[in-house]
Amino acid sequence: MNPSSRFPLPLLAAMACMLGSPTRAAEPDEWKLPSETVELRAGKGREWVAGQCVLCHSADYVTTQPPLARAAWTATVEKMRAKYGAPVPTNAVPSLVDYLVTAYGKPDPAK
Amino acid sequence: MNRFRSNAVARVDRRRFIGTAAVAAASIAAGRLAATDTLELPFENGTRTLAKYPQKRPLIRLSARPPQLETPMAVFDESLLTPNDAFFVRYHLAGSPPPREVLVPPAFRLAVQGHVGTALSLSVEELKARFPAAEVVAVNQCSGNGRGFFNPRVPGGQLGNGAMGCARWSGVRLADVLKAAGIKPGARQVLFNGLDKPQLPSVPDFVKALDAEQALDPDLLLAFAMNGEPLPWLNGFPLRLVVPGHYGTYWVKHLHEITVVDAEFKGYWMDPAYRIPDDPCAHIEPGTKPRHTIPITRFNTRSFLTRLADGAKVAAGTSVPLRGIAFDGGAGIREVVVSDDGGKSWNAASLGRDEGKFAFREWTFEWKPVGSGERELMARATNRLGQSQPLDPLWNPAGYMRNVVERVRVQVG
Repeated sequence: MNPSSRFPLPLLAAMACMLGSPTRAAEPDEWKLPSETVELRAGKGREWVAGQCVLCHSADYVTTQPPLARAAWTATVEKMRAKYGAPVPTNAVPSLVDYLVTAYGKPDPAK
Repeated sequence: MNRFRSNAVARVDRRRFIGTAAVAAASIAAGRLAATDTLELPFENGTRTLAKYPQKRPLIRLSARPPQLETPMAVFDESLLTPNDAFFVRYHLAGSPPPREVLVPPAFRLAVQGHVGTALSLSVEELKARFPAAEVVAVNQCSGNGRGFFNPRVPGGQLGNGAMGCARWSGVRLADVLKAAGIKPGARQVLFNGLDKPQLPSVPDFVKALDAEQALDPDLLLAFAMNGEPLPWLNGFPLRLVVPGHYGTYWVKHLHEITVVDAEFKGYWMDPAYRIPDDPCAHIEPGTKPRHTIPITRFNTRSFLTRLADGAKVAAGTSVPLRGIAFDGGAGIREVVVSDDGGKSWNAASLGRDEGKFAFREWTFEWKPVGSGERELMARATNRLGQSQPLDPLWNPAGYMRNVVERVRVQVG
């Protein structure tokens, strides 16, 4: 049986719309991300994080870390310099690490 | 001086977050989450914003640039397939996600090149027209899912357990496309590159490699749809690699370049990144360094109780329906057992609908708590190879592959 003899054409068109193709929609309709809102804690050396680290990632990469000891923050900064080319001059590393340990770190484990 | 947190403060934090997490879980269950809410993940410094992103409901934001979002646990109780608007998001490079203009026609094309007989350049429409449709229900999970629970803590993205999800992926088989290009003899690996870009030229581009033999596995898809809809922008629109049973690091998003090579690829994101200790269960003595590492590959076995959150209260003398999910690296789940006494005794749960060996497997259990007071609920899955979950957590310095039996404390009475 010809389906058009059973259903009027407008109804068929509506049914086709409802069925559709599961992947018919061409693209997302929103293309904008919310802005960054995380603020770094105040402290000496903050400008290095605010100026250099955030070139490649938002500040929450720092602020969501667990309290890390100096060795772990130092290793992280060195990894960012060596592996990702973070433009932190060698002579700025100590003050950057000092800031991270003070603002987002913990004391070294007892020897 | 309050700049260093003492253990006492951490303990107080722990009591507080259990309450807050329970309230947040109840709000999520009731669909009342606003984009300005925060919640506490149950580890130190676990405060997170619930942020609204394009095509997403408010999700737990780990980072803003690039965006990293995790799924609230309560979502996994809604349905076996994770809704697209709640599916987790993980990027590596600041130029992520790529902008619209490179992702839509006519700009977007997939190149298949390198050690092949005929290089190809295909639009998504051409992929659909030229190759047979294929689909798979599969879990995607971040290598670092649950990193925030590692003890001792490790640096990296401090995720709870929400960097996972299960979807129906539709596309074409990678093997069919590679065969159409004709892999030449001597091919060693296949490289996958997406359109997400680093901010600085010194940052290595995100390129992943699979051995040529594995790339020809018919389970692997080039997917353009997820749960019957085009991929969301933040999940790889318009095309991503799907590697069932394998960690998300291989599921390259916005995939635009497939390159067959005749040597082992040594790119940063294969070595030294995304490597695990070459030790049983990727476990080494906490706080030590691995002697030798290998690339991370398949999921280990995991299970979760999704029906009750930590701190939930249930009435005494009633039957409490428990529900959860389990999955593994592709053998399929054979059994889930449940304990309400901290692991002293175990009872078998019922397994639900089987969506295939790569999918979440639902489990249910009618729990009849005896007496009243705090109970510790645990679920432990075993796959068809007999691989199960440890009672004590594994540890490695990158915080990968957490699969300890999770514990949920609830109050009876």
